[in-house]
Amino acid sequence: MERVRNLLRVLLGRALSQHGQEAPALSNILIERASGRFEPRLGAYFANGYCTWAPVRPADCYAVCERYAAWDLTSLRRALLCEAQEIYARMCAEHLAEVGRTRERRGMAAALLDRLRRRTRSPARDPVGEPEPAREEADATHLRGETQHRLRHWWAQQSDDCARYALFGTGFSADIGSKRAQERGIRLLMENLSAAQRKQYEKYGYFDVTGGKTGKRYRIRHGRQMNIEQIDRNGRRVCGWCFFPQGSLVAGDIMLAQKAAIELFESDALRIANRF
Amino acid sequence: MAVQIVMDRTGDTRHEFDVADPEGVARAEERFRQLTGKGFRAVALSGDGSPGKLVGKFDPHVEQTLFIPQLQGG
Repeated sequence: MERVRNLLRVLLGRALSQHGQEAPALSNILIERASGRFEPRLGAYFANGYCTWAPVRPADCYAVCERYAAWDLTSLRRALLCEAQEIYARMCAEHLAEVGRTRERRGMAAALLDRLRRRTRSPARDPVGEPEPAREEADATHLRGETQHRLRHWWAQQSDDCARYALFGTGFSADIGSKRAQERGIRLLMENLSAAQRKQYEKYGYFDVTGGKTGKRYRIRHGRQMNIEQIDRNGRRVCGWCFFPQGSLVAGDIMLAQKAAIELFESDALRIANRF
Repeated sequence: MAVQIVMDRTGDTRHEFDVADPEGVARAEERFRQLTGKGFRAVALSGDGSPGKLVGKFDPHVEQTLFIPQLQGG
């Protein structure tokens, strides 16, 4: 169990370091079965479309199944999502505190450096001064280290994405399309959500929609397919619906199309949709 | 200015036109006919997140029209 928790920490840590202070909401945990010589993988999917994967050992998955008595993929995913959300909340709080501390440290260092510079520029006032070149060198080394760290991280992310696309092609991925296209899609979606839906989406990675014809409630999760749930008045899942617009659209567009379909032509959409 | 928003691979493509410009309106109407002919659904967006309105016939006075490709089951 602890192994899976560590794995989740790694995945969530990637998202935090990737997005800095603006930590995206965790919307789903994905489990991919082993295929051929590839081992099963665990993925963390975030509200902004960012997704990251890591291989998981079947024995570790089994430990989670035992711990939560989750013997099907949906329950296992739900259990992992609960676990991950708890971990993520803690990590976000720690991350924000660390960001604040680093900013404070950097501010102090910059102020000190500035003071030293000023002293050197006016030797008449302080002929002795501190050994500024050594301090500047230390600062430059720190900056270099930080740049290298970012570069390494970026490279790891690129290779992760490359492997994903090479293995499964673009159709599989939930964050299909260029980054710009995804951003446009999300922007269009956000422009057309009500304030409550927007808040809900930003916080949880889903938003609720009321069926225009039946008045039933649906929950649209961030994703491209199999992302609609019909929920009862207590917010419990009744069933899942899968429909989406044709063409390789980005997640934001698909969710907006699903929202419009449920609100404006619910019966037609459900007739086309597959129930799961 | 009215705008037609067509969902596509790039996120969306926006076509703006001036309701006072007959040529622009004609082009917009033609685009509307072509897209709805291909199975796109036109939705007049409300702009505040509330449900919009399905548009069956071209109306140049609709401020924002969103074109949604035909749906398919997954």
